[in-house]
Amino acid sequence: MSAADQTQRLAKGGLIDRSKPLGFSFDGKSFAGYHGDTLASALVANGVRLVGRSFKYHRPRGILTAGSEEPNALVELRTGARREPNTRATTIELYDGLVAASQNRWPSLDFDILSVNQLASPILVAGFYYKTFMWPAKLWEALYEPLIRRAAGLGRAATQSDPDHYEKAWAHCDVLVVGGGPTGLAAALAAGRAGARVILCEEEPTLGGRLLSDGGTIDGLPATDWIAQAADELSAMLDVRIMTRTTLTGAYDHGTHAALERVNDHLPVPPEHQPRQRLWRIVAKRTVVAAGALERPIVFGGNDVPGIMLASAVRTYINRYAATPAKRLALFTNNDDGWKTVDAAIAAGLTVAGVVDARQEASADQRALASKHGFAVLNGVVDHVDGGRKGIGSIEVALAGGARATLEADGLAVSGGWNPSVGLTSQHRGRPKWRDDIAAFVPDGAPPGMSAAGAANGAFLLTDCLREGHSAGAAAAADLGFGGSVGAAPSSDDAPASSLTPLWHVAGKKKAFVDFQNDVTASDIALAAREGFQSVEHLKRYTTLGMATDQGKSSNLQGLAIMAELTGRSIPQTGTTIYRPPYVPVAIGALAGHHRDENFHSVRLTPSHHWAAERGAVFVDTGLWKRAQWYPIKGEKDWLESVTREVKAVRGGVGFCDVSTLGKIDVHGPNAGTFLDRVYINTFSTLAVGKARYGLMLREDGMVYDDGTTSRLAEDHYFLTTTTAKAGLVMQHLEFCRQVLFPELDVQLTSVSDQWAQFSIAGPRTRDLLCEIVDPGEDLSNEGFPFMAAREVLLRGGLKARLFRISFSGEMAFEISVPARFGDALARNMMIAGEQFGVTPYGTEALGVMRVEKGHVAGPELNGMTTAADLGLGKMMSTKKDFIGRVMAGREALVAADRQVVVGIKPVDKARRLRSGAHVIRKGEIPGPDTDGGYVTSVCFSPMLGQWIGLGLVSRGRERIGEIASAHDPLRGEDYEIELCHPVFYDPEGGRQRG
Amino acid sequence: MVEPSWTATTPLSRIYAPGRHGVKNDAARLSMAELTGFELVQVMARRGMWSPTDQACREAYGQAAPAKPQATRAEGALLIWSGPDQIFVLSPRGSSLERARLAFAGMASLSDQSDGRTLLRISGIKARDMLAKVCSLDLHPAVFPAGAAAATSIDHTSVNLWRGEDSAGDDGAAVFYLLVFSTFAESLWHTLLDSGAEYGIAIDAATPWQG
Amino acid sequence: MRIACPFCGPRENSEFSYLGDAKPKRPGPDAGEDAVYEYVYLRDNVAGEMAELWYHGGGCRAWLQVRRNTVTHEILSVEPAAGAGAASVTP
Ligand SMILES: [Zn+2]
Repeated sequence: MSAADQTQRLAKGGLIDRSKPLGFSFDGKSFAGYHGDTLASALVANGVRLVGRSFKYHRPRGILTAGSEEPNALVELRTGARREPNTRATTIELYDGLVAASQNRWPSLDFDILSVNQLASPILVAGFYYKTFMWPAKLWEALYEPLIRRAAGLGRAATQSDPDHYEKAWAHCDVLVVGGGPTGLAAALAAGRAGARVILCEEEPTLGGRLLSDGGTIDGLPATDWIAQAADELSAMLDVRIMTRTTLTGAYDHGTHAALERVNDHLPVPPEHQPRQRLWRIVAKRTVVAAGALERPIVFGGNDVPGIMLASAVRTYINRYAATPAKRLALFTNNDDGWKTVDAAIAAGLTVAGVVDARQEASADQRALASKHGFAVLNGVVDHVDGGRKGIGSIEVALAGGARATLEADGLAVSGGWNPSVGLTSQHRGRPKWRDDIAAFVPDGAPPGMSAAGAANGAFLLTDCLREGHSAGAAAAADLGFGGSVGAAPSSDDAPASSLTPLWHVAGKKKAFVDFQNDVTASDIALAAREGFQSVEHLKRYTTLGMATDQGKSSNLQGLAIMAELTGRSIPQTGTTIYRPPYVPVAIGALAGHHRDENFHSVRLTPSHHWAAERGAVFVDTGLWKRAQWYPIKGEKDWLESVTREVKAVRGGVGFCDVSTLGKIDVHGPNAGTFLDRVYINTFSTLAVGKARYGLMLREDGMVYDDGTTSRLAEDHYFLTTTTAKAGLVMQHLEFCRQVLFPELDVQLTSVSDQWAQFSIAGPRTRDLLCEIVDPGEDLSNEGFPFMAAREVLLRGGLKARLFRISFSGEMAFEISVPARFGDALARNMMIAGEQFGVTPYGTEALGVMRVEKGHVAGPELNGMTTAADLGLGKMMSTKKDFIGRVMAGREALVAADRQVVVGIKPVDKARRLRSGAHVIRKGEIPGPDTDGGYVTSVCFSPMLGQWIGLGLVSRGRERIGEIASAHDPLRGEDYEIELCHPVFYDPEGGRQRG
Repeated sequence: MVEPSWTATTPLSRIYAPGRHGVKNDAARLSMAELTGFELVQVMARRGMWSPTDQACREAYGQAAPAKPQATRAEGALLIWSGPDQIFVLSPRGSSLERARLAFAGMASLSDQSDGRTLLRISGIKARDMLAKVCSLDLHPAVFPAGAAAATSIDHTSVNLWRGEDSAGDDGAAVFYLLVFSTFAESLWHTLLDSGAEYGIAIDAATPWQG
Repeated sequence: MRIACPFCGPRENSEFSYLGDAKPKRPGPDAGEDAVYEYVYLRDNVAGEMAELWYHGGGCRAWLQVRRNTVTHEILSVEPAAGAGAASVTP
């Protein structure tokens, strides 16, 4: 490999850096290029024409464009874990060592077995899959899907996890300018000079847009000098930010935009600590869309033969990259702009084979040029092109008079006119409007604050672009009150406006492609028309026109035009296509940003987390929390052994558990009691200071919402706790009650969940342990601190804590709260002080076992479909006051006798394991929807009963205590007998917790 | 009997590693620190009592209670707007809760949040760039000048953010303060470190909040 | 989308939670089951201007009444709920 191998590279010129040669490989073959090349331009420079096979017919394809709209040159970039499919060769910046491979071919690009699909093409027409694979359905999995998957599909995703990282960021500005070509630069200059904060996004690594390909003179300077001058002036403005390699992909409500910055895609591996890509959310008060226009092809037979390229792309490769797509070039155009490619070809020393101009006879200037350079100007159309994977064979021309001609060339530049980029302006369903003079849609109905300028607005003349850009930038800034002097609009004296005669399609027998990426042909459009799929939305879905990753940037309008011809309507009558974000494909990794693996979501840690981790606790994810699930000790063979030990230790001695995850809310104010009366079904205004009470909240529809213990710490201060799961939602609900439902109540709410480290201490020796921690002056006796008492206490060492005599385990228990910074110390102190009593830390699993043993309801029973009565808590509902959910809870169906209510469940065979989810069926009945009588909600192995037990929601359950029923578990294929029993399995009299 | 010892830990103290993080070849363009030893009182005016609360604030702290998103330096405290008719009083550890109780008795509801929040300082010439990765607010000096405050979210978690006086050091860069929920602090700290790694972070020793 | 919180200023939508139609008012204690049923379940499906309840939970925790066009997403006004902050409300 050497730089000399670039057979199609011009000896001089272009914007590449010849002092920086680069090596790369494509399909295993080594090539050379230069810094400043794209993969596509380097392939062009090396004479590589065939770059891929098409999606459906596996047709050989070459490079069509020089930009992000490229439908053909999709490649797999990089290897291994960094392999990325469907990247466009036209936007990949070349770097040393780049490895890329073509797609959709097997075993090789030159010899592709599935290109036999071309022979089957009469049956692979539009709607083929719909029609063929409808029936019989069972063949789908076995036959059709594997077949389709092998035949179709684009590139292969990497099979390993992406080693690079991605991130998201926010940016804000007054004026966002989309596109860094002449229009965008003029807009940014004007807005920046006026004093506005400006962000200029440019998709390419350098500013300039089409100026880099077409040159020109602006304010007397050569284009590249003017670009440099503009860039210098913008860089000197403090509040102007130029973002290159950044594609604006979406315009969302109220000035929010999404943009993808390819931070390090131009390097083999991102530098350490830098992301590969960054997804920006840009909030702008005004947006100037200066995204330019895209040249469109003309549909004719064989128009996908490698070597056929858009005329503007040919100019880009010649002028910008000094790479010649052909030695002998022909042009097929319907407008003057296409002729610029002839100029570029001549200047680069190419042979011009001929120009096919679909309009009228050539002008005198054009004839003079043709005779000077010895090429023919033919008034007519390209009827078809013969050729294949080796490129163009011949170009068959149908002349206006009816005669035919043949051109011999290895390259054909095609120009069918230009389409303004209406992608962004139509993302809010603003329908573009048709302009006959340019035969194209231009933006209309853009979102508030957004305007289009320059080529994106249908102004194709350079001086018009500069003027429109300048005035759009100035207007956006002025609109926001920026009054700085914007200076004069830059100007250019480029050629007069281009004339164009619309030409969309040359009818013929050969396959003529409309959508290259999805292999939609002109005859597919005709088929859709015949079968009645004539509306643009039907056309799109029936043929898949415009549904590929390029969203039909180079095909939608031709498809629409052909449908218009076939149905005798105008193009605007036929319809318009509007776009959805993203404008270009965005990797899922970029959308996820930082949020993957251990950063998938933020994590909450309890105050004793590090202490528990030191002890080897096994943690469980509970919402965002990490909670200690159990604390295994050496020699224990499984979780059940650890959990059983923890339960026995609590019930036989003392244990503690971090319950800081409970939501904690300070409810303050003179009307705090009344407020709680309205949100809870039971009464809190009568609760004495220094007392706690279990409370139950309903939703307004009568179903149970949440539960927890609330204590009255002062006349005007309650301390409310919620379940771990609902902490945030209950806070939102209470604020709703305070601000919207009951604004007359003087009450204030603050979440203090993070302020307090809270531990449950349980077991018959709880008081012994507490005496080691709590100041001896505090009376913890049954008289001094009775069941459901709650107050501040002094701890040994002078720390103040809150103590609550509440029990979830059914044991003699307290909950103790200390300021969170002492939570770790409290756990350690309890371990030291409790050593003599065999104190045992226990996790959520043992907590769950003890609550099932006590028949306490939790998440599986508070499932949003249960009433207070279903849970056995119906008597708590006060009849003396209004509360949320009161009226709806009294509805007929919610008080029906056959409701599923909480019962205890035991397998009749004591050795059997009970599983939650099993259905409860009356004995002897056949399981089914009609006989389903409820299900098992929670289970555990009860160390105290020595068997599996559970809770369930069972129809008429309370009347059926003692009944033997059937558990039906189709998921696990189990059927067994169960006994319905009272839900409190352990210490039903409740003596232990009061003792 | 062993007398319990009450060693305070902060949510970051077990993972906090002063020194350099991220890119190390150049001077750090970002500094981060945990600030400890503060007291934080949530003050929420009772119904119809914002004016008396504001008056009480002037008397006790020598400054108006911020009525819009601002952080105001007052006598022995920083007053930080935290929502409509509510403020945080941030002061060095001492007896600020008692002081606030006396000041606002009968007109506002108070909650001690000294342990409920972790306080971070973020400064350096890349502070804004780093914060742009986690915070949706516009922190441009024209929009968010010194003394501006906000109640907003980072990683879907509520935070209070304000901008202090510019750094006295040679860079003269903006200094931001972040109050985050303590149980989220470790997770958020890692996110901030990841976000700033490309700029090189100098993690300063955790120091008490000085006001 | 962005909502201009009257207390915090313009903020992006992930700071807010949506509740729904702001029109239905909670019936008094004696209004009866039909009134409560209507309050809980019956909603207009408005294509156009609508008053909605949003919660600025990721910011100042104020409940807001937002007048919004459900077709264009244009936000016409944002007002605090009656009981936001320390507002004094007579029943
Ligand atoms: Zn707000």
